[in-house]
Amino acid sequence: MANEGKGVKIDVEKMQKKLAEMKAKGLKQNLRDFWYGKPHSAEEGGRRLGEILEDKTQLYTHREWRGVKDTLYYMYMIWGYNYLHMVTDIVKYSNNPVDFLKGTFRYRWMGQTYLPVLHWFDRGLQGMRGEALRASAWHYRAMVSASIQQMCNFFNADTRLHHGKENEAYKHTFLAKETTWGGLFYPWMDEGYRYVPMEMIPYFVTCHVNSHTVHNYIDAAQSIGLPGDPCPMCQAEAGLYVLDDVPDSSPLAITCNEACDGSVGTAILQDWFINKPLFALPMPMQFDDPLVKKYCMKEIEECWKFIEEQTGVPFDWESMRKRLEKQNKLQRDEWEKWEVAAKTDYYPVNGVAQALFRIFSSQYGIQGDFWDEASEKVKKIMYRCVEKKINSFPQTRHRVIAWSCAPLYYSNWCTWAYNCWGLNVIINMDSLMFDMEIRTDSYEHMLEDVATYHMLAPMRRMAVGGMHHIFELWDYKEKFNCDMVAMYDQLQCKGMQGVHGLFEDEFRRRNINAFWMPHALPDSRTVSRAEIRSLINDYMTTVMHEEPLDPSLLDFDDSMTW
Amino acid sequence: MKDLKHLIFFENLLQEANNDLVKQAKAEGKRAIGYTCYFMPEVLLDLPGCFSVRLRAPRCTSPDLATYYMSGRVCHYGRSLMERALEGGFNFLDAQMATETCTVTCRFQEHLQQKKLDSVEDMRIIDNDDFFCTFTDVPFKNSENSYQHFEAQLRAHVLEPLHEHFGVDISDETLCKAIEDHNEVCRLINEIGDYRKLDNPTITGYEFHVIQLVSLVCPKELILPYLRETAEEMKTREPDQKKNFRCKVLLAGSENDDPDFTKLIEGCGALVVCDRYCYGAVESRTPIVLEEGKSPLRVIAEHYLKTSNCPRFMPQDEMRARKKRIADLTKEYHADGVIIASNKFCEYWSYERTIDTFILKRDYGLPVCSIEKEYINSASGQLRTRFQAFVESIEIKHIQEGK
Amino acid sequence: MKKLSKKFWKLIFKLLRVFILANIVLFIVFFFDLDGKLMFYVVEPFLKKRYDSMERRDVLQEAYDLDKFPKYKYD
Repeated sequence: MANEGKGVKIDVEKMQKKLAEMKAKGLKQNLRDFWYGKPHSAEEGGRRLGEILEDKTQLYTHREWRGVKDTLYYMYMIWGYNYLHMVTDIVKYSNNPVDFLKGTFRYRWMGQTYLPVLHWFDRGLQGMRGEALRASAWHYRAMVSASIQQMCNFFNADTRLHHGKENEAYKHTFLAKETTWGGLFYPWMDEGYRYVPMEMIPYFVTCHVNSHTVHNYIDAAQSIGLPGDPCPMCQAEAGLYVLDDVPDSSPLAITCNEACDGSVGTAILQDWFINKPLFALPMPMQFDDPLVKKYCMKEIEECWKFIEEQTGVPFDWESMRKRLEKQNKLQRDEWEKWEVAAKTDYYPVNGVAQALFRIFSSQYGIQGDFWDEASEKVKKIMYRCVEKKINSFPQTRHRVIAWSCAPLYYSNWCTWAYNCWGLNVIINMDSLMFDMEIRTDSYEHMLEDVATYHMLAPMRRMAVGGMHHIFELWDYKEKFNCDMVAMYDQLQCKGMQGVHGLFEDEFRRRNINAFWMPHALPDSRTVSRAEIRSLINDYMTTVMHEEPLDPSLLDFDDSMTW
Repeated sequence: MKDLKHLIFFENLLQEANNDLVKQAKAEGKRAIGYTCYFMPEVLLDLPGCFSVRLRAPRCTSPDLATYYMSGRVCHYGRSLMERALEGGFNFLDAQMATETCTVTCRFQEHLQQKKLDSVEDMRIIDNDDFFCTFTDVPFKNSENSYQHFEAQLRAHVLEPLHEHFGVDISDETLCKAIEDHNEVCRLINEIGDYRKLDNPTITGYEFHVIQLVSLVCPKELILPYLRETAEEMKTREPDQKKNFRCKVLLAGSENDDPDFTKLIEGCGALVVCDRYCYGAVESRTPIVLEEGKSPLRVIAEHYLKTSNCPRFMPQDEMRARKKRIADLTKEYHADGVIIASNKFCEYWSYERTIDTFILKRDYGLPVCSIEKEYINSASGQLRTRFQAFVESIEIKHIQEGK
Repeated sequence: MKKLSKKFWKLIFKLLRVFILANIVLFIVFFFDLDGKLMFYVVEPFLKKRYDSMERRDVLQEAYDLDKFPKYKYD
């Protein structure tokens, strides 16, 4: 029963229930809850996170009380800090902040998605406490910074925001398909060139922050006759162009065949709609065949020649080398983190923060210090956890490895799964790609490694080149000490669908606890988040015979939420 | 028109992969080498001692087992091949020369390759102790780098395995002879196919489709006499006095090894005069021309990359030239319009079909009928309606143009 | 001197009051997710309306020239 007066909704019944609960707990326990936050599990009189969210919209009735210390940390060091830095980042990366404002009004993905970015934090960090809250938030911070940098790079150069004028920024920006590794453009960065992955911000990150935006692009692609069955990621990427919603920020474009046939298909439409000099950079499919490397190296060199020809600026080895060294350092950091994640219970980063940071940083490459800064901070927190034996996920019941490509509109399912069921996602498939350092002792070694690196791209490393790669799951499951597999089931990924049955056979043969998570990558209309949760709930109750840690998270309506 | 003498024989050969001629060649001790994609040069699989079989799964309407392994959300062609393999229909194969040129056929072929893996239990899908499967990496471009790469791949993954496993002679002389034999098949098919260019063609699209398919799925030397005889027969074949078609069309698109689909189109009044699709003759029956200073393998590698019109090719100039190629073929074969058909779940052709539908109409003034189909067309009623409407629209256009 | 000191403390208290008030307001905005509500109910609908009604280039009219670009091959 809700009383409504002067536009303020007060749920009297809910309040009465809460008061009764508090009364029953006694003063001491209430003070404890206030100071430390409520405990996690229902058995301990837990926090019931589902009850502080509004039905459908999932806006907070009130944000979560995590205890005095963590609530203030969240308010000042995450919420406030990120709002503030969103502004300072714009000032830092933008040639003219007014362009940023103009971009917000011009591009749907910009305004509709990025203004509510703090809710993305809320979803990913729900229920996190202590070190997990701090470490995971630093990963998010770096991603926000990288996103703002890309937006600024877009808008600084966009002819549409500058009355059709091709300014200096325009002449110094490379646009490439989002699956093209950013490192390929390092040699020109000392000369002031910037790389912007064409779809990473308009499509990829969008899906995580506001799942509704991308529907416009998928529908647009289908409105010109594209069938509904190709990979929805590629559809959305094409749809961005159909709706003319990609900034005109570069005199050239580079396309790539990664990750799949759909990406090749998208390039066909992009070429038409971009209608500019376009270089295709195809990577070989059978990447562990030693014969393909030479071919791949030559293709990359041809791409560099294309850039030299278009810009008149030669390849700069020093510019390449110093950025690769930074990137290698980031890779070594990641290995350190994986080591702790695999062998201890003290890894403080949650599943979603781990996965997104890794895929974003390794794909975008080094174009600033934000990755390194975040990584250093996280490592510091991590080693504190190791030293003081702090288990940041004390309610872990199962260590989970997530395999195949994840639902972009529900990347924070890991947070929900831990809060609700104690499923702690330790590692995921996308994180394990790009898993190497690049030698910088000579041009030849660098080129050889760059070729390998690019072939090991996200969504591709395990998907092509032979089905034995996708079954590396068994090895990684052992390596990371996981006892359960979350098997993403991207319904429109032909590569993964094509081995579906073998996974079923092997799960049975190897007696592995595994649940399937059907989804359509960016398109939440095909399989909703509620359906995903329901499938996991069913698995946990009927197969694992377990009780939820937080029953309030079992079933709720989030159909309207970002 | 008088029926072609061998048409029923040809039709029967298409009823199953392990047809009478395949059985005969196997009985003679030859090795059957399977493949699915144009990018696997059939000429290399037709070296002495072995013969190529481009895989099909005719009459596979309900691939239940394959649907378990590959789900129902991949192309019906790949699933049908898998079903046929699981049923034992490909046990006659001694090798599969695979390419990762489209995801689903790749996955199908990887299933055949399982015995090499320790990460999954070998299902022994091909119950043949000699069987092996090897993958060739196919480039996405026409460039010197691509030619060199493809040549190296073909040597390492086709020729050398054939030699090692079956003792096949892979010398340059043998390759030259194989090219000669291959060109003889091309010459005959083109000779037969050229009758489609006549004002009143003396061969139907269906008949040609059947003939082209038998040339792909049967041992060449066993099918050649029949092709020669058919070519001779064609020289004197008289067309029906009254044209029994209302317009001529070019059929372009993805994988299509179903002559009944062509028959369905022709049943609606549109004579299929050109076949620019996977399994069609436009590319696969272009003769290979030896060049001085180039090894026969290099010539073969270049030929298959240069002649392909697959949407898999990514360079800007090649993507754009593909549309013009269709328009040029339409002129060459005097077609009145184009039917673009892509298989459901085919990623490449979903996009290519979308752009073809616009550009061919807008830039080349061609009437276009754009459809999505299944491997085996159970929804023929719906398709018939689409084709009939298309034929009518062409007729109306003709009337408006005063033709 | 005393007057100056009084003025100084007055200013400090004033600043403190402003600081505390600002923090209280911030906390209210944060805790009751007023930023989220503003975005969800006001800003996003407004922007969506704008994007939906925006005039856009019809990309299907874009030329598809065969000879506009050279072959980018570097053999």
